[in-house]
Amino acid sequence: MTLLNFFQLLVSGIAMGAIYTLTAKGLFITHLATHRLNFGQGDFLMVGAFASIGMLTAGVPAPLAVLGVLVLMGVLGYLLERFAIRPLDRLGDRAGAYSWVLTTAGAALILQNIVELGFGKSAQYAPPLFSKTRDNVISILGVGIFFEEAAIIITAFIVVGAFYWFLFGSRWGKAVYAVAFNPEAASLFGIDVRGVVVLVFVLAALMAGISGVLVGPLVSVHPHMGLIFTIKALAVAAVGGFTNPVGILLGGLLFGVAEAFSNYWDSAFGDLYPLLFVMALLAVRPSGLFGERRADVR
Amino acid sequence: MPRTPRLAAYALAIAVIAIFPLIAPNPFFVHVGQTFAYTAIAVIGLNILLGLSGQMSLGHGGFYAVGAYVSAILATTYGWPLTLSMGVALAACLLAGLLVGAVALRTRGLYLAMATLAFGFIVEIVAQRWVSVTGGTMGVMGVPQIDFGNFRMGPTYFFWVAAGILLLVQVGSDYVFGSAIGRRLNAIKESESFAATVGLNVPLWRIGVFAASAALAGLAGVLFAHQSGFVSSDAFNIRLTISLLIATVIGGLGRSAGPLLGTAILIGIAEAIAAVHDIGLMLYGGILLVVLLVFPEGAIGLFGRRRATAAVAPEAAPAFHPAIAGRGRAGGRLDVESVTKSYAGVVALREATLSVEPGTVHALIGPNGAGKSTFINVVAGLYAPTSGHIRIGGVDVTDLPAHRRARLGLVRTFQNLQLIQGVSVLENVMLGMERRRGLAADVLAFLGGAGHEARERAEAASILAFLGIGQLADMKPKDLSYGHRKLVELARAIAQKPAILLLDEPVAGVNPQEAREVARIVAKLRDAGISVLLVEHNMEFVMGLADRVTVLDFGNPIASGTPAEVQKDPKVIRAYLGAVGDAA
Repeated sequence: MTLLNFFQLLVSGIAMGAIYTLTAKGLFITHLATHRLNFGQGDFLMVGAFASIGMLTAGVPAPLAVLGVLVLMGVLGYLLERFAIRPLDRLGDRAGAYSWVLTTAGAALILQNIVELGFGKSAQYAPPLFSKTRDNVISILGVGIFFEEAAIIITAFIVVGAFYWFLFGSRWGKAVYAVAFNPEAASLFGIDVRGVVVLVFVLAALMAGISGVLVGPLVSVHPHMGLIFTIKALAVAAVGGFTNPVGILLGGLLFGVAEAFSNYWDSAFGDLYPLLFVMALLAVRPSGLFGERRADVR
Repeated sequence: MPRTPRLAAYALAIAVIAIFPLIAPNPFFVHVGQTFAYTAIAVIGLNILLGLSGQMSLGHGGFYAVGAYVSAILATTYGWPLTLSMGVALAACLLAGLLVGAVALRTRGLYLAMATLAFGFIVEIVAQRWVSVTGGTMGVMGVPQIDFGNFRMGPTYFFWVAAGILLLVQVGSDYVFGSAIGRRLNAIKESESFAATVGLNVPLWRIGVFAASAALAGLAGVLFAHQSGFVSSDAFNIRLTISLLIATVIGGLGRSAGPLLGTAILIGIAEAIAAVHDIGLMLYGGILLVVLLVFPEGAIGLFGRRRATAAVAPEAAPAFHPAIAGRGRAGGRLDVESVTKSYAGVVALREATLSVEPGTVHALIGPNGAGKSTFINVVAGLYAPTSGHIRIGGVDVTDLPAHRRARLGLVRTFQNLQLIQGVSVLENVMLGMERRRGLAADVLAFLGGAGHEARERAEAASILAFLGIGQLADMKPKDLSYGHRKLVELARAIAQKPAILLLDEPVAGVNPQEAREVARIVAKLRDAGISVLLVEHNMEFVMGLADRVTVLDFGNPIASGTPAEVQKDPKVIRAYLGAVGDAA
């Protein structure tokens, strides 16, 4: 491997890692507030990617297309909470403990089918978002990297920054933590618990949608791509222990970079090794690399 | 209890299985019957996993694929005899189940859902890309079929084999649901603390049930491979897992007959969807949502709720003598030696030392926040102490987990009640009892019908009667008053035949009359030779009952002695009332 190769792999890895991080953030925040998450998070990403492809190829200017995707994803997130999550609360004891896994997965199947009907089953590439052509290479310190990848990395980090501001700097973020700590107490403090739950699912859908827009130009997009992203986002969130947002950022980047290098090393099964590593890690350290272990105290 | 023994029902099933392929109008029906039989085996495994033990798997299609590939490849490429290839395939699935189960062993359900999802995905990818072994999408062709060398009668023989195995698996499932195993899985699902308290090794149970469920999925895959004679990676995507899950929930989670019904419905749906293939996924997704949100009990729920198992009428229960509660080694001695427990730098308990003499009641009191709950959790084994030692009858148990201490006769109740809502009051008490028979004897008793567990039921009923709550035996814990629930917990603890009993605030929130009743019962237990460590705020209760009292304040033991001595101790008075000059 040449040094040049090394840097190019590193940048590609960081770009994918940033996207995994964004997707995983959505899982993190819903899990934080509700102890549930969307097992179709990757399929939401897929919907975001297709919505953006659809609008861009129809000639909608990129900023408007992104706005359109965000609106669509917000609506989808709301619908998911309203029809796949909230009804479970009404069932109380009658709903099984992990029914939400299956209801969200069921919703994902429906989305896959709709996209399949609209766009066909074959793989597609999204037009580049930030540059005219796909192979627009810029040179940084003598290393040529794809402009598109660099722009995606920067955008992803801006979104992650906004996410942190929301979580740690805004009133809503405090409300999310309050609901996470104790929903009943939060409602006594005048926090609209139901509103917060809707908010986190909408946010999770937005994160998936943005990831979808960004990932479109990087990988081939097809209606059944979601599962892989769901699995990888879950793995990344687990590396962060589902509790540590900074751990998820580091975990996501590590995962993306590890994947880029292992794909280079073994093109047949390279994408499986980071996943196997995370599984083994969870067996040894169940709280992930960055999470804290909490005892079951009653 | 059903009047007709189960054996009659199973005999009928054997007759149906024997006749069905002979009277089936055409081979298609036999083929559907075969598919039903092996699919139901996988669904039964999922039902026990999801419904009874509360663990989620999104990767059962992966185990199914492992079973199918291992047996197909060994039998086809390497020419092994079927019995051997199938046996090795099952072992491989069991091993895979243990490995995947281990990932989620110490974590909650979300991780298991994730690990299984990843496992199914990895199996699918490996099957697709490891072409030299699996043939990829082209698959393994010419897999030997189970036909005993008779081509014309092959499908009939295969049906008999698959349905025969299904019957055995169904009998096993019925047994699991109707015996102590099902009860214990329910307990593990609802409360790990409770399960450990009644002596269950929770991780072992969880991983065991997961591996067994994986092996059943693998068995279904093995049969699939030798039915179709062709195994390719296209057969094992996430949709297979989703189909099995749909059959499980649509039949009715947590009921032994659910999988049979669910599998029949699934096969019906699959046939119907073949005509509208374009919207197949949407239908599957929609069915999952509708079933889970509108009919969470599944199809079997339409046939009425689970019958309550008939309990022994309270009058019929033999009188309970606390003397028989002891284990013949009555009067365990408990020594706690300078135990310190700190949480992230905060010391909750400092150098606490206390000995409970055999056959006495030792009370631990102290203001709120004094460290009493920490103390009892450290003694019971739910928390590891930072330093110090705990001995039961002189044996150091500091490093033993909670369930091992419980088996040594260290039994506790919880301040925040831990009762299993999924089973009746009587069965909550029975959860405290040890297994009396070997597995084989218990299965035989179960097949025999009404007499199964009759002695355990009678004994549990007599304990409830001893506590004056015999009439509550058939109720669910959530329908009881708070005081009654406390008594049920005490009954469960007595059923464990304690040598040492840890009572964590047994009369908190209980009315004075009930408190006197509890005091009378605890005194009887002590008189029967059981040692009691009591944590309680109610001073009247403590002072009337305890032989010795230890007082904790801010994690430090500040006094110890008889109730009269402790009541006069100035340090104790200061801890409880504050002293002149103390700033408020």
